[in-house]
Amino acid sequence: MPAIERIDNAGSGITGFYRSLDMIEVKNLSKFYGSTKAVDSVSLSVERGELFGLLGPNGSGKTTMIKMLTGQIKPTSGSLKVHGVDVLEDPIRVRELVGVIPEQETPPSFLTAEEYLHFVAKVRKMEHYEAICERWFEFFDFKDQKNSLCKDLSRGTRQKLMFAQAFLHEPELAIIDEPLINLDPVMQRKVKDFLAGYVKNGGTIFISTHILEIAKQICTSIGIIYRGKLVYTGRMDNPLLQDGNLEEFFLELVSRPGNSDTCVSISAQYA
Amino acid sequence: MFDIFKSMLKEEWRMHSNLFGNNGFSLFPVFIFLFAFLVSLVLPIFREIFTYAQIALGMHYLFLLLGGMIGAFGLMGREFMNRRFGQASLIAYSSRTLPVSERLIFANFLVKDIVYYFVLYVLPFIAGFSLAAALIQAENFHFPVTLLILLLTLSLSFMIGLSLVFFLSTIYAHSGKLLTSGLLASFILLLFVSGNPGSGSFYSLPSLSFFLLPSKNQFLLSSVLIIVPSVLSLVFLKVDFPQAKKSFPNSFSRLCERFGSYRYAAFVAKDLLDLKRSEGGFGKLIFSFLLPAALIWMLLSALEAVLPVLNTLILFSLILGVLSSSMYNWLTEYDIFASYAFFPLKPSDMIRSKLNSYLFLNLVPLILLVLLIFRIDPAVLLPALLLFIPISLYMVSILVYLTGLSPSINLYNGRTFALYTFSVMPLLLVNVILSMFSPFYAFINLLLLPLAFYLLGQGFRKWDRIESPRF
Repeated sequence: MPAIERIDNAGSGITGFYRSLDMIEVKNLSKFYGSTKAVDSVSLSVERGELFGLLGPNGSGKTTMIKMLTGQIKPTSGSLKVHGVDVLEDPIRVRELVGVIPEQETPPSFLTAEEYLHFVAKVRKMEHYEAICERWFEFFDFKDQKNSLCKDLSRGTRQKLMFAQAFLHEPELAIIDEPLINLDPVMQRKVKDFLAGYVKNGGTIFISTHILEIAKQICTSIGIIYRGKLVYTGRMDNPLLQDGNLEEFFLELVSRPGNSDTCVSISAQYA
Repeated sequence: MFDIFKSMLKEEWRMHSNLFGNNGFSLFPVFIFLFAFLVSLVLPIFREIFTYAQIALGMHYLFLLLGGMIGAFGLMGREFMNRRFGQASLIAYSSRTLPVSERLIFANFLVKDIVYYFVLYVLPFIAGFSLAAALIQAENFHFPVTLLILLLTLSLSFMIGLSLVFFLSTIYAHSGKLLTSGLLASFILLLFVSGNPGSGSFYSLPSLSFFLLPSKNQFLLSSVLIIVPSVLSLVFLKVDFPQAKKSFPNSFSRLCERFGSYRYAAFVAKDLLDLKRSEGGFGKLIFSFLLPAALIWMLLSALEAVLPVLNTLILFSLILGVLSSSMYNWLTEYDIFASYAFFPLKPSDMIRSKLNSYLFLNLVPLILLVLLIFRIDPAVLLPALLLFIPISLYMVSILVYLTGLSPSINLYNGRTFALYTFSVMPLLLVNVILSMFSPFYAFINLLLLPLAFYLLGQGFRKWDRIESPRF
């Protein structure tokens, strides 16, 4: 049951008198491609100020979840609200409010890094964005490449750029598919610190990853998805997940033979 | 060497069938066959208007142009493949990872293009034409000898076009500015010379000459025109390695400033930079637009010499409107919607932005047309414009409705291509016939404007409904 509070939302752009504390509310969400169940009856909520990690092996439905959360694809059934907005009714509003980093970095080939950030700022109808862009180049230490074409940037640098575009408009919620992919250890540390600090300052982050280290180090709560079913959700401060138990727990959930229903019962043993 | 060639052929087929769907793509040669067959059935009517030699001339130049256009794809094909499949995922772009020379890979690529597109375009066309010619017993196109010669000479025309454009693109890789200015100068010269072309000069295309009067010399000359540019392209081959990284100052913001508060400023600025900075640069405008336009103008001028009833300027306005719609293809070459799907944008927003850029680019043919009209016959300015503008808008609206943001991909689907052809061909034929009576018939084309806007509106809704378009 999501927590509800009465708030003054004047000027927030979010319709309705009440706003849930949950930044993401998903109920019985399914996405089928023919007979393939990419996401199967998933329900979860992510509260404001959380750093939620959706964990799962490759092909388990993480990216499909993210695409549905950001209104890029429509669910087969179920409902979902992001930032208080019904995604099915107003996906554009959701993408206005949220910062998104997709699975693969895709900045346009023939704009330079700086031009791309300016382009994003224009698309997001921002004003006075130059200084903000400059700060991101400094933060990620790639000021020397801001005049390089995006197609000539290394994958790591492109990921930095995608990170910058997602946070350019200082969203309250960011949804990130594999946040540390292609980044070197120094930058990984920097990003992890940034995400932790962002959440401390009231932001909310939803990440999907198959790298358990990230969840262990920075997530406040996790969900484990396997073959489209959410087989576990819980807080990271659960003692069962501490001291290396997360890896064992995860592997037991996803490596048992049989279908994902078996996994639900396994997770129940741990709960 | 043969292994590379075989792998390239497989790769090309799998790439196309992956992009366009097995059924859609395998239908494409079938559609070409049917199209050639149906059009050829009206050959007796064409024979009333055109001579045997003129029909042969049209066919050979059509295949010369086709070869040139497929060769020109080599200029931007790499970018397209990179966007769709990731970096260096084709054998042609893998010289750094394969233990074979770039020249060997390029030679295989060239032969593969010839064989693959011969099967895809040339053979179905000839088969359709031959079947129709056999059925209607077309005069002079005797079955099978003349038609077999036609198969040979159309293939030669196709290969000449392909190898010449490969050669031009090799020169471009060495000295883009020199080639661009050279071609521009040649184009302007041709434009002014073509007022009084010696119609006989068009028949000096060796493959055409060989068809009309088979001789060893013409065959050898055709072969030279294929082999020499291809060999020179191989000898002077230059592969643009990624380490040649380019830096640019922020032109995007400057362009946006110039556009002021124009709603699509950012998108139009981005599109212009895409065109300018991508391989070939604004040279694409010359290769893919101005050169074909010049060729068409020369052909029309030659036809007018033998068919005074034709109004060259009006017909040129019509064809320019059709040709202009190819600019929408260029504009959509650099984007996939996935790059914008996570922004607060719908597919229709992207299509609208592309249409805005399209209108900007259409200033080029518009200016070309106006200059030409003022030079030749200012009296037809109004009808010519009333033909060019609605045709260009109608053509692009059909493209938007049928193919969305991916015309270059979706048009290879046999069904879509058939729909496109049937939406366009009757209109063009009616225009060609009416143009013989009076240039002022062009006012009728104003009726296309509401239809174009309706199709655009329907197209926006259609593409917004389609979930997560792949391209």
